[in-house]
Amino acid sequence: MSTSVMPEGAKHELTVVKHATCTFCGCVCDDIELHANSERIVETKRACILGEAWFKNHTAERLYPDALIDGKEATVDEAVEAAADILHKANMPLVYGLSNTTCEAQRQAVWLAELVGGVIDSHTSL
Amino acid sequence: MSCTLGEVKNRADFIIYWGGNPAECHPRHFTKYTLTQKGKFLPRGRKDRTMVLVDIRETMSAKAADIFLQVRPGKDFEMLTILRALVKNQKVSAEAVADTGLTLEQLQDLVDRMKKAKFGVLFFGMGLSMTRGKHMNSAAALTLAAEMNAFTKFVAMPMRGHGNVTGADVVLRYTTGYPFGISLTRGYPRFNPGEYSTIDLLVRGDNDATLVIGADPGATMPKPAIEHLKRTPTIVLDPKVTHTSRLARVHITTAVTGVSAPGTAYRMDEVPLPLRPALKSPYPTDEDVLKRIIAAVQKKPAWYPETRNQAQIA
Repeated sequence: MSTSVMPEGAKHELTVVKHATCTFCGCVCDDIELHANSERIVETKRACILGEAWFKNHTAERLYPDALIDGKEATVDEAVEAAADILHKANMPLVYGLSNTTCEAQRQAVWLAELVGGVIDSHTSL
Repeated sequence: MSCTLGEVKNRADFIIYWGGNPAECHPRHFTKYTLTQKGKFLPRGRKDRTMVLVDIRETMSAKAADIFLQVRPGKDFEMLTILRALVKNQKVSAEAVADTGLTLEQLQDLVDRMKKAKFGVLFFGMGLSMTRGKHMNSAAALTLAAEMNAFTKFVAMPMRGHGNVTGADVVLRYTTGYPFGISLTRGYPRFNPGEYSTIDLLVRGDNDATLVIGADPGATMPKPAIEHLKRTPTIVLDPKVTHTSRLARVHITTAVTGVSAPGTAYRMDEVPLPLRPALKSPYPTDEDVLKRIIAAVQKKPAWYPETRNQAQIA
């Protein structure tokens, strides 16, 4: 685990992303300037208090295992296979969520739901 | 009837927030779009606009409002219906007005101002759409905005939370024709909220597996729904090991949308915006993982036997 602040003259290069888009709330502000090193975002210009927390709390560190099956660490390949088995065997699988993801992933989710003959639903129904 | 936030910024001189607290939940809504910005037709910015807040309690957003109307909890539908009557100059009973916790003068004043506006917007939040009356409240708000167009330009827009939930609506609409709660169990889309909405499915125990993407129902849903997620196999794709991951059969860690995963997200006014991730994630994106699951499912036999289908056609 690394320290939260990058010391001056450190080996990390600073990346500046202009017009970054924040997906924390429905405002989807697209005028944020992000300063990041290879591991974390260190500055969030123009972001609100919620956006700043969103950007700074998510890092590129490997904090979690790639995948878990029944609580045990597994590879993504194994987990993908297990997921496909479960969804294929089910009579009525449900695909749910879709808020904190991209439209591209949402499209794939619709396709998958169709493929396994399931139900698809989002946070909108809550 | 809706519009983009750009139109709100440039044109809206009358803004109502109903059952929402943008000061704390959408902090830049006031400053980027609705209140303080100078618009093309509102050169003096805040001075050219009037803001009304309708809520059951005086939230932080009330400080920004010109008029705060405290409606009695659960009486939003009644208040909307009275406003619709007043818009059409119909008589309303004193008891019905008293029931909302407001006075006839307050409601008549609101209607007069709405009619005088050049461009009115009604933003409604979950305080309206998720409390007693639910979708009936949203329908009443949308009808009020629609009926106001007999007098002036008036639009309504839901204050969506949760990042790209608007994108989910849009994608589901253009792929299946319906916005949420869609069953594909017969091979074609059927829409029936209450039957195919997640909480109802889980509480009744209808579905026999769940794939959760970018959500944490294990932390937010009612207990019987969580019990069903535990009882049946659940798969979670999430950047973190969530409450739902802990009760799931399979968890796959994915990159964070917009932070380390590229793609598109929709703003609450249905304007699509590209994401520009600043970090490179050690994990695959949701899109990648879903593609891989699809490829693995496609290797298995189709869920409906082809012969049966052909027999039906013949």
